[in-house]
Amino acid sequence: MVTYIVRRLIQAIPIVIGISVISFAIVYLTPGSPIDKFRTGRVSPQTIANLIRVYGLDQPLPVQFVNWFTHFWSFPFNSTAWGYSFTDGLPVRDKIFGRAPSTLLLMGTSLVVSMLLAIPIGILQAVKQYSWADRIITTFETIGYAMPTFWLGLILKQFFSVQLKWLPLYGQNTLGKQGDIPDMIAHLILPVSTLAVVSVAGWSRYMRASMLEVLRQDYVRTARAKGLGPARVIGRHALRNALIPIVTLLGLTIPTLLSGAAITETVFSWPGLGWLGVQAVGDRDYPVVLAVTMIGGMMVILGNLLADVLYGVVDPRIHY
Amino acid sequence: MASSESIRSGAAGPTSTSTDTDEVDLVAVQTYWQLVRRRFLRNRTAVIGLVLLAFLVFSAIVFPMVGGDAWYRTSLVHHPTDPVSIDAPLGYDNLGRNIFFRLTKGLQTSLIIGFFAVLIITLIGTTFGSISGYAGGLVDNVMMRVVDIVLSLPGFFLILMLVAFIGGIVPPMMVIIIAIGITGWTTAARLVRAEFLRLRESDFVQAAKALGASDSRIIIRHMVPSAMAPVLVAATLGIADAVVTEAALSFLGYGIRDPDASLGNMLTAAQDYFYRQPLWIYYPGITLILVVLAASFVGDGLRDALDPRQKLEA
Amino acid sequence: MATTRGAQEALLEVVDLRTHFATADGLVRAVDGVSLRIRPGKTLGVVGESGCGKSITALSIMRLIERPGRIVSGSITFDGQDLLRLPEDEMRNIRGNEISMIFQEPMTSLNPVYTCGDQIAEAVSRHGSLTQREAAARAVEMLEQVGIPDAKRRAGEHPHQLSGGMRQRVMIAMALSTNPQLLIADEPTTALDVTIQAQILELMKALRERNGMAIMLITHDLGVVAEMSDDVSVMYAGKVVESSDAITVYDRPHHPYTKGLLASIPRMGARRERLDVIKGVVPNPLNLPSGCLFKRRCPYAMPICDNAPPLRLVAEGHVSRCWLAPDGGRPELGEAPSAAEAEAAALTLTVANP
Repeated sequence: MVTYIVRRLIQAIPIVIGISVISFAIVYLTPGSPIDKFRTGRVSPQTIANLIRVYGLDQPLPVQFVNWFTHFWSFPFNSTAWGYSFTDGLPVRDKIFGRAPSTLLLMGTSLVVSMLLAIPIGILQAVKQYSWADRIITTFETIGYAMPTFWLGLILKQFFSVQLKWLPLYGQNTLGKQGDIPDMIAHLILPVSTLAVVSVAGWSRYMRASMLEVLRQDYVRTARAKGLGPARVIGRHALRNALIPIVTLLGLTIPTLLSGAAITETVFSWPGLGWLGVQAVGDRDYPVVLAVTMIGGMMVILGNLLADVLYGVVDPRIHY
Repeated sequence: MASSESIRSGAAGPTSTSTDTDEVDLVAVQTYWQLVRRRFLRNRTAVIGLVLLAFLVFSAIVFPMVGGDAWYRTSLVHHPTDPVSIDAPLGYDNLGRNIFFRLTKGLQTSLIIGFFAVLIITLIGTTFGSISGYAGGLVDNVMMRVVDIVLSLPGFFLILMLVAFIGGIVPPMMVIIIAIGITGWTTAARLVRAEFLRLRESDFVQAAKALGASDSRIIIRHMVPSAMAPVLVAATLGIADAVVTEAALSFLGYGIRDPDASLGNMLTAAQDYFYRQPLWIYYPGITLILVVLAASFVGDGLRDALDPRQKLEA
Repeated sequence: MATTRGAQEALLEVVDLRTHFATADGLVRAVDGVSLRIRPGKTLGVVGESGCGKSITALSIMRLIERPGRIVSGSITFDGQDLLRLPEDEMRNIRGNEISMIFQEPMTSLNPVYTCGDQIAEAVSRHGSLTQREAAARAVEMLEQVGIPDAKRRAGEHPHQLSGGMRQRVMIAMALSTNPQLLIADEPTTALDVTIQAQILELMKALRERNGMAIMLITHDLGVVAEMSDDVSVMYAGKVVESSDAITVYDRPHHPYTKGLLASIPRMGARRERLDVIKGVVPNPLNLPSGCLFKRRCPYAMPICDNAPPLRLVAEGHVSRCWLAPDGGRPELGEAPSAAEAEAAALTLTVANP
């Protein structure tokens, strides 16, 4: 297992380099320069020349890339590894590390909530296929799946925050209540619900399909032929097999959560990585943009690896 | 039964070696696409999707024409509080613009972006996938690593970056189309490649090769048409993704900006009227959902119709 | 009970079983009036082409028919009680306990995520009051009984680590772990290599001797039936067309379909250019011909075959669903009874099974 993971990580190196090259290229080859905003006439040419030199913008691009790329990986020891933010001059690494827990909290909670709802719903639908319950749930799933997250977020905000005034409108804490757990949970409810509605719709459909597939299998018939009741046939023999593709898919989905979070975090002004990234793009805060993109790419690679490892854990037929 | 009896005796010529099968013959007469069409039309959800899609496309073409510049023209005469009328079924916005025509104009923008983005996706994906799948070996290996790299980039961020950074020099609609197009082709490429790997070994391609057909001819004349079925499904479903992505970009303020109409920027504007005009966020939102539903119904219906194996399960 | 009349008490008696499937394309009468009889400790071979309803009959006996299938009518008397009238929880106590079943596909019939030992022990503890440890020991013992070497280690392995023949042995071990009175074996050797087939049949014979259980052996292979069976029922298009003891069926088959099946077996020493094969295919279950279901493929077809033949007694303990005279000759003209008469005859004859 360990050798397999190491081998996979080595294989990922070219992909990491590829991601870096593309991200870097988009940031540095697009028209406009990060220091354009200083060219207002009020900043002296001397200062601008200094800035260009300080940021290394006078170097040829390949040199800039190599400098940035080698520097990038020193982040565990070096708070300046990812450079300084153009907007507030803080080290990018610290900014990112500061925002990451919020994103993890939001993503983790919505993932857990979604799974706890989606798996039983999917099982129920598969077992009662074509029943009225299945049909109604399927209709809701279809609509839920078709809902753009940002619109759903707006609707929830309008209803629960603006009209009913039950829940806070945005942010992670009420001003002055940092670290207040109940206050944070209240802030968490709407963004988590937004993400959960869409992902429950998706996951329960997968679970239903996976369960239906498994229920058709010969070994389920064998289990019933042994005289086992439905609870044991479904809960033990079918469920474990039906979860195999779900677990795999889960690993593959985790990375896409960052993109999904970007929009939801922005709608709810949730101070996570996604919102930071969206803001950084708007501010042309290139070091932050690059760092967020790199983290996104790394999450994909690690997510794929996680999916394969989990696959090996849940399916005894797979050995590494 | 008497009829199948006569069919059999009619078909029994001196060369007929088949054992008499009663019902297979009638089905085999239909072409593949006739069969696909029949299966598609028998699927209620798919037909609903198709009708809905036709209605949306019709609205996106006709109403902006009927309305002229009503979606754009501000007015000091009309107000959000005006009662709805035939002229303005959804009323007027804060600048006195006709919301209904603004909505249909936004829908038009969405559908144009969806269509062309998917066109680019399909063109890049098909070309890339066919070369990769046809060449095989090292070329295939390298090309698939490129796919891995593009897939590993956080998609929405990449699009956001492209739109934000090159948005100033190219018309916004074109930027969005390009950004979605050049980041979203990997699925199509993988599908085409998989089909090509399968087809490459198939009898009819081997036969074409034996007859001395050139590679490009084999690819374009024989393999691409066969590989199009899954791409068609992916493309239909892709329209929904592209439309939602556009709306999200515009909503965040990076895509189509006011005064141009987009479902996304109408949502942004509606946010400021949460209290006074609570319905405003529903118009563009429901329109978006309808587009997504229509595309996914048609896409799923196509998939079921194109793949008879799945039909059997249902 | 009237249905247990006969030379010997039956262990299982199926009377006029009908199992239909409501498919999108129409009603499929997969099993349409099947009557079977299994004597205690004896083996009944049920023979027929694929799609003739043999497996559906077996699953009906186990009451494992799932939507859109439904047992429409009939009775299945096992050990004096009608299985079709039992509540589901009582049926569950019989399933895998008094009646066990093994399936055609050993590759897919075992759950891939649990060990073989676990899966056998599960059956044992479901129907007994053994502790987990005892059940696990029983599983190993069963694996030894079915001839799996190094049974203790194998019990801890997952199905994918075993060959097809080994997996079928595990299935047999699981089925027999509860000492059933009846084992239903649905094409148990079809998916296996020829040499493995022989081994599995030998194993089943040996275990039959030891446990004294009855077997319902479903197969399309008359060779397998010859080797294993005491009695034979031949099925065609959802109905039993001929039924007797094995020797009679082989030596003096009556129904043209049975004759066709026997003629299509390659025989050692018989020098023939080609095998006699029954022409045509099984009729489309959605569109069955009227009258005799076999008439279109039958070399003896005659006008009377437009009426459905009843199951008729052609000799002592030998029934056949054919209009041919008991000696196999052409029936005299006018011998054909009316449809109502045929129906009545069929009913009386189903209970006169061997």
